[in-house]
Amino acid sequence: MSTLLPTADRRTTARLAWRLVRTRRVPLAATFVTFAVTGLAGLVPVWMIGRIIDAVREDSGTDAVVRAVVLMVVAGVVGALSTAASNAALALAAAPALAELREEVLDRALHLDVATIERAGTGDVVARVGDDVRKLTESLDEAVPALLGSVMAVGFTAGGLFALDWRLGLAGLAIVPAYASSLRWYLPRSAPVYAQERISSGARAEALVAGLDNAPTLRALAREREALASIESRSRDTVEVTMTVFRLYTRFGFRGNYSELLGLTLVLTAGFLMVRSGAGTVGEATTAALFFHRLFNPIGALMYVFDEIQSSGASLARLAGVAGMPVPPASDHDVHPRPALELRGVSHSYEPGRPVLHDVDLVVSHGERVAVVGATGAGKTTLGAIAAGTLPVDQGAVLLAGRPLGDLDPVTLRTHVALVSQEVHVFAGSIADNLRLADGSAPDEVLWDAVALCGAEPWVRALPDGLDTAVGSLANPLTPAQAQQLALARVVLRDPDLVVLDEATAEAGSSGARELEQAALAVVAGRSSIVVAHRLTQAVSADRVVVMHDGRIVEQGTHDELVAAEGRYAALWQAWSSPA
Amino acid sequence: MQSTVPTSPWPLLRRSVRRHWRRLTPGYVLLAVWQLCETLVPVAIGVVVDRGIESESTSRFVTSLLVLVALMSTLAFSYRFGSRFIVRALEEESHLLRTEIAGHVLHPRGARTDQLPGEVLSLATGDAERVGQVVYQLAYTIAALLSVVIVAVYVLQVDLVIGLLILVGVPAVTLVIQVVTPLVARRSERQQESIATASGLATDLLHGLRPLKGIGGEDVAFGRYRTVSRRAQHDTVSVARSWGYLGGLTTLLSGLLLAAVALVAGQGALDGDLSLGELIALVGLTQFLAEPIAQLGEVSAQFGGAFGSARRISAFLASPRLQPPADTALAVDSTAPRLTLEDVHSGPLAGLSVSVAPDEILALVVDDPAVADTLMTLLHAETSPEHGRVSLGDVALVDLDVDDRRRHLVVSPHSAQVPAGTIGTTIDPGGSLGADRLERVLAAAAADEVVALHPEGLERVVSERGTSLSGGQRQRLALARALATDAPVLVLHDPTTAIDSVTEQGIADGLRDLRNGRATLVLTSSPALLQAADRVVVVHGGRVVLTGSHAQLLDDPGYREDVLR
Repeated sequence: MSTLLPTADRRTTARLAWRLVRTRRVPLAATFVTFAVTGLAGLVPVWMIGRIIDAVREDSGTDAVVRAVVLMVVAGVVGALSTAASNAALALAAAPALAELREEVLDRALHLDVATIERAGTGDVVARVGDDVRKLTESLDEAVPALLGSVMAVGFTAGGLFALDWRLGLAGLAIVPAYASSLRWYLPRSAPVYAQERISSGARAEALVAGLDNAPTLRALAREREALASIESRSRDTVEVTMTVFRLYTRFGFRGNYSELLGLTLVLTAGFLMVRSGAGTVGEATTAALFFHRLFNPIGALMYVFDEIQSSGASLARLAGVAGMPVPPASDHDVHPRPALELRGVSHSYEPGRPVLHDVDLVVSHGERVAVVGATGAGKTTLGAIAAGTLPVDQGAVLLAGRPLGDLDPVTLRTHVALVSQEVHVFAGSIADNLRLADGSAPDEVLWDAVALCGAEPWVRALPDGLDTAVGSLANPLTPAQAQQLALARVVLRDPDLVVLDEATAEAGSSGARELEQAALAVVAGRSSIVVAHRLTQAVSADRVVVMHDGRIVEQGTHDELVAAEGRYAALWQAWSSPA
Repeated sequence: MQSTVPTSPWPLLRRSVRRHWRRLTPGYVLLAVWQLCETLVPVAIGVVVDRGIESESTSRFVTSLLVLVALMSTLAFSYRFGSRFIVRALEEESHLLRTEIAGHVLHPRGARTDQLPGEVLSLATGDAERVGQVVYQLAYTIAALLSVVIVAVYVLQVDLVIGLLILVGVPAVTLVIQVVTPLVARRSERQQESIATASGLATDLLHGLRPLKGIGGEDVAFGRYRTVSRRAQHDTVSVARSWGYLGGLTTLLSGLLLAAVALVAGQGALDGDLSLGELIALVGLTQFLAEPIAQLGEVSAQFGGAFGSARRISAFLASPRLQPPADTALAVDSTAPRLTLEDVHSGPLAGLSVSVAPDEILALVVDDPAVADTLMTLLHAETSPEHGRVSLGDVALVDLDVDDRRRHLVVSPHSAQVPAGTIGTTIDPGGSLGADRLERVLAAAAADEVVALHPEGLERVVSERGTSLSGGQRQRLALARALATDAPVLVLHDPTTAIDSVTEQGIADGLRDLRNGRATLVLTSSPALLQAADRVVVVHGGRVVLTGSHAQLLDDPGYREDVLR
């Protein structure tokens, strides 16, 4: 089954979060200051109401009331300005941090080896870069302002209660244990369900991606209902998990309501006792009760924030898990400008105990074209991937001009060795976008030259906008042969010394194969190449043919030598050129 | 599910509320009760101060506290259960929409949309959720309106001037806030779009990871992602700014309203027109109104977001089917129908006429990939020919019932993607094949070797897109899957292009054995398969130029040029 990508532990996640916000000090400081001002400004009206009440009780005249009202207006203006400023300051601090994080995750995902991504399922990565980032964005939009606003409001209001009278303050503080106990009840229960929610939404995304991407094939094979049923059942699972979380959350909220009642009762009782004993005024008692009532929303928000922190923390941990995966080592040396490739005693197994390559030795000289043939499952593709450095070597060594391939960082490596695999993919974007993946700065003329060399010029010219025509699975669909021509053109743009072509003509279908073969020949001309082929025309013209069987090289030589030797290759050639 | 799909945003949103009325009715009532109680808390505080604290009598204080206890208990219970109804409805609605969106693409007759898979993914997740949230927003809007009305009614009884102040002030404040809300809505929509673009791009890049890594395009690809990610970042900041304007304006206006009420009520209390309790309640209530005002002010922005999502979803659901509607869907009129193309003109096809007898293997050699692609599109019934007719039995393909067509005619595409599952479920999804038959099918497609490669055999799990298999292995599984259907008419498009010539020979023999007495059309130029065919038809320039057996045709130099490589 699929092995999901790692999820970071709490410390790593926290470290990552801190690293992201640390550098943004000015907006961060501005955020705290503006939220503090907002919190203070929000307190002024309640304080002034207490003043008005006392003014009424003491009958101290209109002036006191007007003064209080003027202060309320001033506080309203200040609060409005600081609210507007605090939103902007927070976004300026957080949005770049979030962008940096999602970029880091995608960067890491792009540089991971293909096998890891595919074991995890593309959906897992997509869910992280998509869903988890969105989840964090929402948290930033809602929870962080709520958190800062609430902390300020709670802090100032509690301060306000103490400023009125220490006994009122103490009465208000008495609810802290009540809230703490509901948090202790809630957090351990909700954490695993949130984790489950993330996992099931990842599974849902995977089912959606698999279904939406392959829709035409699924329809042709009458399998679309199954795919839909799988999407439906995964989506149903997430609904049920979400409801489980929410039921917990409402029970938590219910406890919160009773904590509020308890606190309000305590504050009112303290006020009552103080008024009766003459230690306080009715105005103070009222202000205290209204202060406390004002706490309901911030405390509720704070509880909600704990909840958000927990769930967005799960998202952050999943992102941090990818961001924390090891970076491929960088090399400081360049290799010899005209390298030859050597494979020395290379073995490889995808699963322990089931080797697909046994002790393979292969040397490719400068400018030599080596064709690799053999039955399906003989290890040709694995050999190609190892030679191109997309698969790490289990045993043995792969040397590029005498230097181990693994010592080269991917970018340096790809200026020397390029691989065109069996998988064809047309990237969403223009033809030029597809080509410039190999060379981001290539001007149009260079693109046209590469396209012409691969025999794609006629159809590219015929497209509505030439190189700028949008292509991709649902834009202008290209045939597999056209897609593969673009892949070959990318090799031309990359201009490597050695090219590995893995069945680069197989997807074309019979009628396009010959054209692609011409294109492939044009691309490898003047370079060293390993051509994995089942079309033996490619073997006939190769400098050397290597025959593989069960993970071993069993025959080597030119086409003529091998035909004369009457071994496996001769049998393949016989079946190819004149079937019974 | 439902027969009529809303094709514009309003009906879609209406349906989202209407189809959950059983949950929403109790939910809305309970939330209204909750909001009523929340509103009355300051009143209750006023009562406790006025009747209890002011009296300095313990028994009166305790009695007044009981009012508070009753109020807050009702509040707690009604929220706990009311919100569950609402959230359940929200989740169910998102689920229904998600399934509907996926079902639109995965409809047997397909959908003609210009959206990338990543964009559809974002419709099925983010947009579906935002539309679902309408039921939630509606709940809070109802509750907020209710609390404004309650406050106004209460205040009117106490003091006419303050009551009118509130009745005029709240709508005025809400109205002024609307100056900013369109800005918030516009920017939110732009932000959602740029986030969707970023996630669509990420999906696409990850799907092309192998080709991308083959030429070391990771850094260029990342550069592209960074550009869209930065745009999303910029949009996020601009949304936050607009929320800031909205929040600031709300704070200012509700603060001014409170100050006005405080001034009038304070003066009234000084003049002795109001009791202390009334003063507290009035000011407390007005202060409390800041919440519903903010709620009402934001609702149009939130709703704007939901409306944007509803517009995207309904436009998507309105996209037409790939295959013309078969209102008068016809059944296949024979158990062994004949597949016929009569004088078909369509793109590169220029008067193609081919007929596959119910018991023959017919090989089709085409000179141009575009001809093969057009032919496959026609055979999938995704389009009708411009001229001429493609029919199964006596009925045109596009007029046939989709399921009936696919039962009688299986068209196996060349791009041999294998759906995720085990090898066994890939080949035989229904699990209906007997052991003997399965063995024969596997042998015929040379897939028995693929099964034998791994100890788990048929139970081996094939990953998404079958990328844990090599091209040749995938092609064998796809062929086995096609053969397993035992369809009366089977079309194979280049089934052996990634398979070595010795294995190919075995497959040709297996095909003859397994398709004996049934109709098979193979698009190929493989000599082994051509040799196995009863009849070979050569297509040049979109029309038939030669017909005969492989052996007969080998005398033709043009044919030799075509097929001998």
